Amino acid sequence: MKIVVVGAGAVGFHLAERLSEEGQDVVVVEHDPQRAEKIGDQLDVLAIAGNGASVPVLEEAGTKDAALFLAVTNRDEVNIIACLAASMMGAANTVARLSDPEFYAEGSVLSRERLGIELMINPEREAAWETYQLLGSEAATELVRFAEGRVQLIGLRVLPEAPVVGQNLAELDRELSDLHFTTVAISRDGETEIPTGASRFEAGDHAFLISPSSEVHKIPPLAGYEPYRLRRVMVAGGSRESVYLAEYLARNGVACTIIDKDRARCRELSEQLPDALVLHGDATDLELLEMEGVSDVDGFVAFTDRDSTNMLSSLLAKACGARKVISLLHNFQYIPLVTRVGIDAAVSPRLSAVNTILRYLHHGNVARVVTLKGIDAEAVEVRIGPTASVLGKPLRKIDFPEGGLVGSIIRDGEVINPRGDDAVQEDDRVILFALPHIMPKLERMFA
Amino acid sequence: MRFRHLIHVVGIILIALAAGLLLTTAVAWLYGGPDVWAFAGSTVGTAVVGLVAFKTTGLERDLTVREGYAVVSMAWVAVGVAGAVPYLLAGVISSPVAAFFESVSGFTTTGATVFSEIETLPRGVLLWRALTQWFGGMGIIVLGIAILPFLGVGGMQLFRAEVPGPKPERLAPRIRQTATLLWYVYGGLTAVQAILYLVGGLSLFEAVTHAFTTLSTGGFSPRNASIAAYDSPFVHYVTILFMYLAGVNFTLHFQALNRRPGYWKDSEWKFFTFVVLMATLIMVALNLARSDYAGLGFEPALRDSLFQVVSISTTTGFVSADYEKWTVGAQFLLLMLMFMGGMAGSTAGGMKAMRIYVLFRQGLAELKRSLHPQAVLPTWLGKKVVRDATLLRIMAFALFFIGLFVGGAFVMTLLGHDLVTAVGASAASIGNIGPGLGDVGAVDNFGWMGPVSHLVLIFLMLAGRLEIFTVLVLFHPDLWRRYGRKSRARGDAARQVRQAEFKDKRIRLTPPGRET
Repeated sequence: MKIVVVGAGAVGFHLAERLSEEGQDVVVVEHDPQRAEKIGDQLDVLAIAGNGASVPVLEEAGTKDAALFLAVTNRDEVNIIACLAASMMGAANTVARLSDPEFYAEGSVLSRERLGIELMINPEREAAWETYQLLGSEAATELVRFAEGRVQLIGLRVLPEAPVVGQNLAELDRELSDLHFTTVAISRDGETEIPTGASRFEAGDHAFLISPSSEVHKIPPLAGYEPYRLRRVMVAGGSRESVYLAEYLARNGVACTIIDKDRARCRELSEQLPDALVLHGDATDLELLEMEGVSDVDGFVAFTDRDSTNMLSSLLAKACGARKVISLLHNFQYIPLVTRVGIDAAVSPRLSAVNTILRYLHHGNVARVVTLKGIDAEAVEVRIGPTASVLGKPLRKIDFPEGGLVGSIIRDGEVINPRGDDAVQEDDRVILFALPHIMPKLERMFA
Repeated sequence: MRFRHLIHVVGIILIALAAGLLLTTAVAWLYGGPDVWAFAGSTVGTAVVGLVAFKTTGLERDLTVREGYAVVSMAWVAVGVAGAVPYLLAGVISSPVAAFFESVSGFTTTGATVFSEIETLPRGVLLWRALTQWFGGMGIIVLGIAILPFLGVGGMQLFRAEVPGPKPERLAPRIRQTATLLWYVYGGLTAVQAILYLVGGLSLFEAVTHAFTTLSTGGFSPRNASIAAYDSPFVHYVTILFMYLAGVNFTLHFQALNRRPGYWKDSEWKFFTFVVLMATLIMVALNLARSDYAGLGFEPALRDSLFQVVSISTTTGFVSADYEKWTVGAQFLLLMLMFMGGMAGSTAGGMKAMRIYVLFRQGLAELKRSLHPQAVLPTWLGKKVVRDATLLRIMAFALFFIGLFVGGAFVMTLLGHDLVTAVGASAASIGNIGPGLGDVGAVDNFGWMGPVSHLVLIFLMLAGRLEIFTVLVLFHPDLWRRYGRKSRARGDAARQVRQAEFKDKRIRLTPPGRET
């Protein structure tokens, strides 16, 4: 399959990398010649230096017989024009990254249908929504919904005072038989383990569990967290993500304070968000943070444009006593570091964009693909086809490759917590976990 | 600043005024009054002065901002003088200052009168009093722009200088269209009210004159006892309704007439209506506690309370009951309402509900800022943010308004009036209400005052009607200073002389023998 990617920023680069690893023919168009050269050297893709909104450049990239056209530069206008040109030239499917909320507004003149774009993605809004979800849970470093929200994956740090510390999974399973959850991954000192019954929890582990959505809230206490209610959130930085987040918070009656260092931007924000308190100041100014009561906030979110500022202000807030601290990181190579230094969770608009696009690509039997942050594992939601090799076999008897497991089975809307005796049937949906190199094999067995 | 321009525009306004005088002459002639010749003479005099001023001068270009301010103030004084002439010629007032007071009180829609006996006055004079208020309500300049387009006066400067409120809204792209539409709404409401009065049993003459002075929130009445002369609840409620409508922004009426009613979306309207209703509620409670309403029941207490609250808060000044017999608390409540006045863009006076509301919101924001020193807190007017420049202007306006009120009251006490009278007269004049407190209360008049007191109050009435800045700017030296090449050369020369003197002085200041 031939795929054209316009823009070799963080989103474009990561997409090109993933797609070329999957064996697709990828052409990248990038206006900065140096960056184009770099991506051509590093990845097995064809890189073309040129403006992605220019028709000759798109022709050169072979847009007319592309199965998929992805416009993911950070400029809305370029992405729109590139997609319009591509669909006129004959590209089968187009995807545009668009940050301006006006394109998503109901009744917009420039709606998705009118523009003829297959998929519009708004990384900033997705990051803000993810942050809002994470703020709602006292412990989660990651929250992913599967099967229309019936099942949730939660990632959390195991605290030293947690009741589960030192126990292995088989013991826990017996003790907590009334709770339905499956531990799907444990990350310790940078090593990711897909656990077996003998695996133990230790303090400081980064654990990933899957559970029916109605029972997810019972998990954090097991890891040593006290329940809390989200009442006050402080946001450092007045970025576009901050505006979306402030709107979600206001809609749910959560008090929100935003700090930005640009006076004119503060003015804009204060007029745009009547319910939020907007402060003009530096997000790393400890005195300001303390004066505005950072020690009492339930959530602290660092959403400035600079990763270093975000990390620093998050650490300051955590040191002052903010309960849950979330940092936005543009460079997602830093993400594994985050939970290790004491920041509760990280979000990345670009990673959300990549995930959304990958999910769109894996249609067919694969409903959802998620690259988990901070650990080296993936989650995939698969519908069991009529020819799957595992059909009807109890899980115990399946020859699982090491580093893969079934996290949950959804049959006719019912969530089944898989045990050794359970067997998958046709049309079941299963959620698989695996180390990235195991996943293709696992997908073949089930799909 | 070109005085030729000022005189030209004032000439136009005087010609327009002569048309009004002509109408009054015709009415006086119809009623066969003794004042026909007075009005005929005034008409001719005003028309001649206006024509001479208009013909001998001309506009070489559009008015500048400074000329706009000067023109508006000058036109109002000129109109005040021209409007006083019929009173003198008809012999109903002997003192020229008192006649000027009556005339300015009319045009500024204040409604303070020097007459103690009104009903014996000739019909022409009575109509003229009402007509001055009706012209002044929507603004004589706006009238000039609207009805005399061929004379070529226009421009936002004039409009801005006369229309009440922090920022006049435009109903149409062009100012002339806006002015015309406003006059249509104004005239239409006046006609409807006059018809309702006729239904209520008033004579045609009284229906029309009362409608003129209600829609303009003026408050002159051809009856001694004002609206209290009519013992009809229907007439009282009609008056209440139209006083209230006159106190509401005419832009809202215009939108409602175009089937796009926006009252509920307007936060100033909500604030104004809320204040009026709350004040009425308190007033009813205060009045029901008193003995003279105890026997009458609830309805008269409600009607009188509502009437007085609406009359004072819209700065109309009609009375249906002698509120000076009410409790001191009730009187003080009315005094407070005098300061708010009606909405911006209405014909009412006072500080305007919008300014009070914005100041209130700004006060709350400052309170919050004490707790969050680095917060960025916009001041909200409904769903809109008030610009900083507007906010500062509103604050300056409030300062000047209060300052002029206090200063005016102080001068009145220096002139020998007692405290309540001085405060009441000053507030009633700058707020363009009319009746005040004490010796100028609901059933009293201003005829007994001396000419100096009258002149002080005339200044306050004009300042209040023209929203302070238009008048006060006349006292700013920059309005009169020339900024030409000549004066700059003169300034440079003066500076050189000063510098030379300074150098000279410095040299002399150095102790002897130590010069280098």
